[in-house]
Formats: sequence, structure tokens, C-alpha cells
Amino acid sequence: MSRYLTLSALAVLFLFPLVWSGYASLEEPSNYLEMARFGEGLGTYATNSVLVSVMTVAGTLVISALGGYGFARFDFPGKNVLFLATLAILMVPYATILIPLYVLLGYLGLQNSLVGLSLVLVMFQLPFALFMMRNAFEALPRELEEAALVDGCGTFRAFARILLHAVRPALITVGLFAFLASWNDFFAPLILLNDGASFTLPVAVVSMTQHTFGAIDYGMLQAGVMVMAVPCLILFIVLQRHYVRGFMSGALRG
Amino acid sequence: MRRRLAGISLLGVLALTAAACGSGGGGGGGAKPSEGPATITMWTRAATQAQSERLVKAYNSSHKNIQVKLTVIPTDNYQPRIAAAAGAKQLPDVFAADVIFVPNYTSQGLFMDITDRIAKLPYKDSLAPSHMKLGTLDGKQYTLPHTLDLSVWFWNKDLYQKAGLDPEKGPKSLKEFAQQATTIQEKLGKDGKVHGTFFGGNCGGCYVFTFWPSVWAAGGQVMNPEGTQSLNDQAAMTDVFKIWRDLYEKKVTGPTAKEEQGPTWTGFFPKGEIGVMPMPSTTLGLMPKDMKIGVTPIAGPDGGESTFVGGDSVGISATTKNPDAAWDFLSWTVSDEAQVEIMAKNKDVLARTDLAGNKYSAEDPRVVLINSLVAKGQTPYALRFGQTFNDPQGPWLRLAREAVFGDASKVPQLNAEITKSLQQ
Amino acid sequence: MTLTITRSGRRPAHTAPSARWRSRKVQGWLYAAPTAVIVGVLFIAPLALVVWMSLNRWPLLGQATFNAPDNYRKIGENPLFIDAVLFTLKYTAITTVLLSAVALGLALLVQDRRPGIGFFRTAFFLPGAVGFAAAGLLFYGMLNNDFGPIDPLLQALHVTSEPVKWIGTPNMALFSTIALVLWRFAGFNMLILLTGLQAIPTEVYEAARSDGANRWQVFTKITLPLLRPTLALMLILSVTGSLLAFDQFFVFTNGGPDNSTVSMVMVVYRDAFFRFDLGGAAALSVVLLVALVGLNTVMMRRLR
Repeated sequence: MSRYLTLSALAVLFLFPLVWSGYASLEEPSNYLEMARFGEGLGTYATNSVLVSVMTVAGTLVISALGGYGFARFDFPGKNVLFLATLAILMVPYATILIPLYVLLGYLGLQNSLVGLSLVLVMFQLPFALFMMRNAFEALPRELEEAALVDGCGTFRAFARILLHAVRPALITVGLFAFLASWNDFFAPLILLNDGASFTLPVAVVSMTQHTFGAIDYGMLQAGVMVMAVPCLILFIVLQRHYVRGFMSGALRG
Repeated sequence: MRRRLAGISLLGVLALTAAACGSGGGGGGGAKPSEGPATITMWTRAATQAQSERLVKAYNSSHKNIQVKLTVIPTDNYQPRIAAAAGAKQLPDVFAADVIFVPNYTSQGLFMDITDRIAKLPYKDSLAPSHMKLGTLDGKQYTLPHTLDLSVWFWNKDLYQKAGLDPEKGPKSLKEFAQQATTIQEKLGKDGKVHGTFFGGNCGGCYVFTFWPSVWAAGGQVMNPEGTQSLNDQAAMTDVFKIWRDLYEKKVTGPTAKEEQGPTWTGFFPKGEIGVMPMPSTTLGLMPKDMKIGVTPIAGPDGGESTFVGGDSVGISATTKNPDAAWDFLSWTVSDEAQVEIMAKNKDVLARTDLAGNKYSAEDPRVVLINSLVAKGQTPYALRFGQTFNDPQGPWLRLAREAVFGDASKVPQLNAEITKSLQQ
Repeated sequence: MTLTITRSGRRPAHTAPSARWRSRKVQGWLYAAPTAVIVGVLFIAPLALVVWMSLNRWPLLGQATFNAPDNYRKIGENPLFIDAVLFTLKYTAITTVLLSAVALGLALLVQDRRPGIGFFRTAFFLPGAVGFAAAGLLFYGMLNNDFGPIDPLLQALHVTSEPVKWIGTPNMALFSTIALVLWRFAGFNMLILLTGLQAIPTEVYEAARSDGANRWQVFTKITLPLLRPTLALMLILSVTGSLLAFDQFFVFTNGGPDNSTVSMVMVVYRDAFFRFDLGGAAALSVVLLVALVGLNTVMMRRLR
């Protein structure tokens, strides 16, 4: 029972800012209307955001699952260097690397494109995703893979048919984080996209809230926070079921 | 096996690419030059979006051969965006910028020289003088005024009435301002909600915008004309600081003035919680409809009047391939038609001083007053303005905070740091 | 340990190809190839440009001029940066300890399936759905003495008697920022740890139980050691994230009051975008990168 008391107290603390924000935003519902009509219209920005998020999640999952397996189960020259180089992505100030990236995407013909933006977001997700997937594959019993190999699967088929199922919680975490990061990312779309019609929601929402001399329109900000958070909430609740299933094995602990 | 694996790895990449092709068009990306009418791109910061949007819309509907595509960029991140675009030689054809930053942009070569084009405008001498001054470098002109935002004093007539002050008489000097604010505080401030006045005490740009006009109104200066020498330790400035310091110490300002970084500094007045305070003129149109607001020029300690002429200037980027189309749009924005039928009609401040009395101006004397200040006000010129005065880590904010809240004896030493920053 | 994989029923019954192990190296490379491509093209290449920029005077438009090592020499002469280093280290130490402790606590509280546990997990995780810049502004408003809800609430509960200067003094500003970071990121880290906890086989716990270990022993002797790779990931994320902290200070405290909360990346940002000294900003970034890679290499060695 005391556990539930602790949990409830903590939940109040964590939810309070959001509840305040939601409550305050509803005091002035016209904010939502104004938001819907802003610039190119909320629909355009939402579509862009969804496209970017979907591409980022797909790219991150594919690349980190393959890479994580490779790093966990194979030895190859350059492995440590590549792993460290990937982790080093975390260690460069975001703002500085974006200008060279912007120049580079120009050479690749991906400037001002949602695809280019998604690739960049995949890159920023890779350190976490790869580390996570490598841990997950390493934690699998070797016997699982060997059994599959004995049964005649090639490593790839063992990977695709058996191991991927076994690391599903990690995949869901990686996918969820990639989604949240790409959904909320502000600086990369701001710098890498030139055209207002291809902006994503966070850029549009920040534009809506900023007035002259640094003044912030709090009504719009709170409405914006709500609009941005609701899809995340739904997604998390949906994925939550998968989480619980993934955690079944641990359910006996007390 | 090996081949298949390679195929699979490739497949992932291909899937990405395929998704790529689908969305590139859908997202409206790709700045392909379209056939038919010339399209020019324009950037503006969110703060002045409404005005830019109205101008672009009207221009696009009346011009078939040239279309302007406007992109609005969050205000606080406008500088990085411009820097990144310039670094990658990807500036739009036309971009507006906070007038304060224009000298720096011009010195970096971001704008195209339009001296000859401006010379052909019949009304070239009545373009907002302070904006034109900041857009001039070594005798060459680079920008036109785009939107103007002036600092003025707003007073709340209802609160004045309740406090026994004459609701039709605003302050004529900074000392009167202080007296009236103090009266409001004493008569109405007991509930803790209403305050005499307010200011952004942890916001460099706010100090500049709201305090400096009092210096100018008293005949003083804050910098030398070249913008390389700070004069903020002189009596004209320190007298103004003293009056505000006094107001803060007597708790006539809202309690959060010292911490105010900018996000909420204009938010208290429209709630009816402030008696009298300096505000940006563009907020007048955003005030609650039923609120009775008086507007008066910012004055010096003993009178006079002045204003900080802020807002955006606009220029053609140095890298544009479409200078003629860009100029067609730019020159149209300062034409009689655009200024009267779009700017004046929406109560915006005009970019030209010769149009101050127009067919819409009679509707609101406050707008006439604001427009009349354009010629009297100033916009300070300095190449290193942003990093010295706007940047929260710049030396100005430290000076202003010491002068108002801290140890005023540090002002001369901090003033030297401002000069150092200006000369970097 | 027995293998009871129900999915094994799906195994196809092909006969084994003979030379399976021959090409492990090549196979490993193929799995890692997409990672290598992304890292090489989108990270190493732009990073090389950053390094090149750091050796030049780099104007916004126009030709760069080689000036090495001026941009690096300037770093030592920048008092703002030296102060920022010290402040950022302090911030990182406090944040990492608190964040790890809170996240681990939350993960242990919600790791088991119980009625309603999904609600609590969602509640803790949900702040992560708010963009960081928006979260900063939200806290700025929430803690505002004039219209924010926190002060009246605390006074109603008799916790405080007058409005608290949440960002008015250096220590309070740091405290409030850390509260913001904990609120926003504890759920993230909780989830990472949950994923790690889940990978610990139940059998290990059962074995320990039957050996008569108590809860504390189970936690210190089994959970913590087996959670090591996950803790390593979380620590690396937290330490690097804190050392590169930007939004929380840029948006929430503006580096104030009086430059008391200026982080290292804020100095980089100021150099790049207020002073347009792209070369100087690049040099700072390179120094930060080298320091962080060094630090993390040491951390990973110790945690492996």
C-alpha cells in the first residue's frame, strides 16, 4: 500500500505541470483555433512531423537492429573505432555540427528536404539506439542463436526470425525514443529546412508563441504543448501493452 | 549468404530512399525554380510576422508575374538561422532583420547594395530616418524600413481613475511617471496584484528599448555616433537608472521585475495589473478591446520626448539571383498603396514620415502620436550591438542590473567593458 | 539454464550449410555497414568540416582565411568560458547523481506488473513528450511569482510563507533547473533501466531467493551487477547530456542571474550566433568533443 502512496505522490508531481498547462490552455480555447490557422495551417505541419517521425523511427530501427546484432555477436576489424565514433555523435554540441551538416546536405541534394532531415535525426539517434540494441543482443543467451544456426538458419535468418522477437522490448524503447526525439526536435528542422511549408510542428509552435522583444504568448504555448503531447501520450499508452507483455517474465519478482 | 546480406543492408537504405522520394514532393520541399511567374523567397522573424504576411498577401494578389513566398522563423532563433543560411550560401532572396542587427549583417556582406535603386524612389527622403541610417554603411544603402515598433508609455485609465489621478493626463516627464506609478501602488497595490509599473529587469533588450529614450529625451546620448564608445556611465543615463532604482526599492514595480527575462514583460499590462509602463507600440492592437489605454511618448527625467525606433528593416540578400523581382516587391512595400491601405489600415506604424496624416489616421489619435514619433526617435548604431546589449551574457545587462538592483558604483568599470565589447 | 523458447517451433528445418563460420568477419561488417555509412557521411564528414573551420577565420559569407591556432589560443583568454567549465562540471555532477537515483527508484517501483502500474509508468514518462524548449518556458511561467501556480499552492500548504525567488539567486536558479531536468528526463531514464531490468532472467532471482538472500542482497548482488551495461548507457547519456546542457539554461534561466548559470555550450552558441565567430565556436566544440571522448572512454573502461 505504501508503494501506491509513494507512486501517487510522485505521479502528482510529474503530471502537475502538464495538468496546469492543459487547464490554462482551455481557459482560452480560441488559442487552438488560432493555432489551427497559423501560417500554412496546422495540418501541413502535423503531416510534415508525422512523415519525419515515421522515417526516423524506421531508419533508426533498421540500422540499429542490424548494427546492434553485428556489434554484439561478431568480431570485425574497426569494430571498436566505429562504436566509439558512433558514441561520439553524442559529444558534439548540436548547434555547431548543424551548419556543416546543412552544407553537406546541399551537396547530397537533400537540403530543405524532409528525407535529409530524417537521415540527420537517425544519425543523432544512433548512439543511443546502437548501444541499446547491442546490450539487448548481448543479453540474449548464446544458445538461442546457436540453436537456430544448428537448425540450419543462416545468421541473418536467425536474426530476423528469432532474435528480433527476443529483443522486442529494446526495439520498442529505441523506436519510442526515436519517435519522441524526432517529434520534438526543434533545432534540426529549424536549420535544415528553408521553406515554411516544410516546417515541422515544433518550429511552427515556437513561431506562434514568440512576440516582439522576447514576449511569450503563454496561452499559445500551453495549447502548443498540449497539441504536441497528445500524440505521444496515445502512442505510449498503445505501446505500454507491449511493454507489459515484454515484462511478463519479470512479473514474479516482488 | 554474403550477397543476400548485402542485399538486405541495401534494402534498408533503399527503403529510406524510396520513402524519401515519396515525401520530398509532398512536403513541399525542394526550391525548384518554377516555370511562369518568378518566385522570390522571403524570411522574417515571428515577432513581425503579421505585418509581413499582410504585405505579402496583398502583393501576391495584385502581382501576377512575381510571387513572394514567405517563411516565418522563430524570433529567438533568427540569428542562427541567418548564420547557417549565409554559411551555406543559401540565403533567401529577401530577408527582414531586427533593425538593431542590420549594421552587423551589412558589414558581413549579407545584403546587396541598393543605393541606386533607392535613389530613384520619389519619397526616398521620407523613409524612416533612423532605420535608413542603420542600413547605410560607408555611404551605401542596403535596407528599407519594413515594420516599425516604437517604445511608448502606456497608462491604464481605469486604474488612474480609481487611484484619483486624472485618467486623461499621462506623465510628461520620468519624474511624473514615477509619481503617478507610486500613487497607483499606494492606492491600489494592497491586494498584491496591481502595481505602479513594471520593466524587464533581467533582459538586456528590454532595458535598451525602454530606458534609453529617457536619455535621448533629456538631450543625452548612450554611445558615440560610430557605436564604438559607451556613454552609459554618464549622468544622462545614471539619472534615469536612479529613478527606476528608487521605484524598485519602494516596491512600486511588480515583484518579478528583477527576474523578468523577457517572456512575460508585456503580459502584465493587458491584464489590467499595471498603472503605467513602457511598452512596444505594436502591442496596442493586441490589447483587450474594452481596456482604456492612454499612450504618451517616453520622456526624460524633466521632460522632452523620444522613442526607440525598433522593428525590422528588409534588404535583398547578396546571393540572390533575382534582384529585380526582389526590388519590385521591396519598393512596393513602401509605396503609398501598401503603406496606407495595408499598414495604416491595420494601425501599424508607417515606414514613411510623409504619410503620417492619412485617411485612416483620424480614427485613433494614439496612432497619429506614435507615427509622429518616428521622426523624433532614435535607433542606436553599433556594429557589435547584439553581443553587447541583447546577449544576456553581454556586458550591458550586468551594468544595468548593478545600476538598478546592485552596486551602482560598479557602473564606470562595466561601462569600460561595454566599450571594449563594442570595439571587438 | 534450459532453453524454453516457444517461438522455436517456427524454426525451418533446413540442413546446415557447411562453411558458416568462415565469413564471420565479413558478416559482422555487413551488419554494421548501414551504421558505418550514416556515421561516416552524416557525422565524420561534417565533423571534419568543423575541425577545418576551427583552423580558420570563418566569416558568414566570403572566403575563410587560415589562422590556426588563433581560435584555440583565444579559448584560454575567455573568462566566460572558464567560469562556464566550472559551472557545467558542478551541474553535471549534481544532475547525474540525482537523475540516476530518481530513475533507478522509479524503475524499481514500476518494474512489476500490478494493477494500475501502466498509469504510473505513463505519468512518469509523459513529461518526455514535451519539447525541451517548451518545457523550459512552461517552468518559467509555472514558477513565476506573479501568475504561476506554484507559489500560491506552496503557501496554501504552509510550506512557504512568501513567494520564492525560483530563478532569482544563483543557487535557486540551479536548483530549479535541476528540477526541470529531473521532471523532463527521469521517465526516459526509468524506461532505459526498465528495459535492462527486463533482460535479467527470472531464474537468477529465483536461485538467489532459494539461497535465502534478502531484498537488499538481491538488489546489490544481482540487480546492480547485471544492470551494469544499462547503467553504463544511462550514465554516458546523462554525463554527456549534462556537459552539453544548453536549452535548460538558454531558455529557462538565460544564463542568469548575472551569468551564474552559463553552460559551456551557451558560450559556444554565443560565439557562433551572437558574435558570428564560427571559427572560434568550432574550436570550442572540438575541445569539448576531445574532452568528452576521453572522459567517456575512461567511464566505459571502468563500467565494462
